[in-house]
Amino acid sequence: MASILLKNIVKSFGSFVGVQDMNLDIVDEEFLVLLGPSGCGKTTTMRMIAGLEHPTEGEIRIGGELMNDIDARDRDVAMVFQGYALYPNMSIYENIRFPLRMRQVPKAQHDERIRRAAEMVELGPFLERKPGALSGGQRQRAALARAIVRQPQVFLMDEPLSNLDAKLRASMRVQIKHMQRELKVTTVYVTHDQIEAMTLADRIVIMNKGVIQQIGTPDDIYSNPANTFVAGFIGSPPMNLIAGTAQNGTFSAAGARVPCPANLSGNITLGIRPEDCLVGGDNLQGLVYGVEPTGDITYLTVRTANKTVEIKAGREFRAPIDSAIAVGFDTSRLYFFGEDGARVGGN
Amino acid sequence: MASVRKSGGENLLVRYIILVSWALVCVVPILWFLTIGFRPRTEIIVPEPIYWPTWSLDAWRLLVSDWPIALYLRNSILAVAGSVVIDLVLAIPAAFALARYEFKGREDIGFYILSTRMMAPAIVAVPIFFLFKNIGLLDSVWALMLIYAAINLSLVTWIIRSYMLDIPKELEDAARTDGASDLTILREIMIPACLPGIITAAVIAAIFAINEFLFTLLIASTSKAYTMSVALANFTGGSDGVIYNAIALVSFIAFAPILILVILIQKHLSRGLTMGAVKG
Repeated sequence: MASILLKNIVKSFGSFVGVQDMNLDIVDEEFLVLLGPSGCGKTTTMRMIAGLEHPTEGEIRIGGELMNDIDARDRDVAMVFQGYALYPNMSIYENIRFPLRMRQVPKAQHDERIRRAAEMVELGPFLERKPGALSGGQRQRAALARAIVRQPQVFLMDEPLSNLDAKLRASMRVQIKHMQRELKVTTVYVTHDQIEAMTLADRIVIMNKGVIQQIGTPDDIYSNPANTFVAGFIGSPPMNLIAGTAQNGTFSAAGARVPCPANLSGNITLGIRPEDCLVGGDNLQGLVYGVEPTGDITYLTVRTANKTVEIKAGREFRAPIDSAIAVGFDTSRLYFFGEDGARVGGN
Repeated sequence: MASVRKSGGENLLVRYIILVSWALVCVVPILWFLTIGFRPRTEIIVPEPIYWPTWSLDAWRLLVSDWPIALYLRNSILAVAGSVVIDLVLAIPAAFALARYEFKGREDIGFYILSTRMMAPAIVAVPIFFLFKNIGLLDSVWALMLIYAAINLSLVTWIIRSYMLDIPKELEDAARTDGASDLTILREIMIPACLPGIITAAVIAAIFAINEFLFTLLIASTSKAYTMSVALANFTGGSDGVIYNAIALVSFIAFAPILILVILIQKHLSRGLTMGAVKG
């Protein structure tokens, strides 16, 4: 069990900078999720922790020990890959046994540990099969078993669920979280799926273009986004962002008008979450662009002069397309962002 | 519906006719050739072909009593098998390095290795002859083994390398985080994963080696080191004039091992050849 410290980490590939001056302190037993769009540097960061890439600058410490010059095979980390990376010529039993053999774990312990790891991921009956004879979900569980069997200091998971279908993904998510709590192993998890991040993480690190945008608990990141990137990335559907101007305590944009803090002026972006909008009100005027009932909730899309705004309406809400509609905002839940995208006020 | 099914059936029939005709074009000469080996000498050079031969083992008897076929076969097998083993021992680690390690000039070295295949072998025939003369290896099966290995090494390296490039990098990363060293990764992960490629490369090298003629003729100055390919060329049947039935039989014996090998590993071979074609 261990803490992980990344200090001033830079990783460049030729002239391209993959990760820029990253500082991150991951505490023991924490479940940390690195979240961001593809190419944001999250996988590179994880591979540096694993020792599969070497940082151009900066320090990596695991359990206080400097890791920069330590080879991947000598770091006590276990990694789960997006493509499972099971050894195709070995049975599942041999796959799970591989790290034990490599780390000279006494032979007498092998069988018991393999069976216990397989039990945890419910793979007991499949141990003699080759990876090719398993389904995607079973393969991913085998990869998890291979990671947990040697009781490492750190788990690294690189989009482990992204090759699975939605239903399986949801059940595996719970399984992973449960397993992590049970084993109490510091875990770094990479994903581009914000639902996975919100549900799994103790803390989320949101990255974009190699730079950390915000670090915080899921609640914190949801209710206090630091900038427009975070606001637009988290939430399903994400926060509505409306560009306009602020003057004398009023924010206005084409079709929209809300009160704002008196100290704001100039070009400002208003942020409002779909669930904080109400049909009926006087903050936004527009036309109905689309109505999508899902059973428990109806998604309403309203088009104003230059923008569409997503609203979570009541389950019974219906309206014909192109009819005029007025929308009110919960003014206690407005966010304001400056020209550089950083949060300047609200909520 | 019925007409659709009918046209589908006709289509299939046409396909069968074309494929069977092509198979016949390929197989009939081989079968005809085989029958020559089992005809009496008098039935071979005749004005009208005799389609149903009188079977005879004359040629076989002549071969066994007058010709050291066992020696030639032994030389061929020894030289070819030895050369393939040398190729694999050298090519597998080289292919792994070329496929996986990042180092300056990696592509250039890969291309250089392949480029040794590009020149006409005759260009180096004389230097090779003197080289082996100076080290005292003329007229020896060991020399042939080395030469065959050298001729095929680049191709074998290249085929195995293209297979290794197709093995997902994730597998290697996984093995590394599991605690495996480079050698373990090569032995336990890469070699089993690209076994079809290794088998393909070995068979192709064996085919090239068993058919090799120029250098064998050069190095094997007496029948002591003759392989089947050179012995066959020198074989006319002895003092009784050209004995075609014996020649046919010898040719067939030279050809049969490779035919059997190729049939056995056909599946791997076609996959290996297309992969080499696409990736190489």
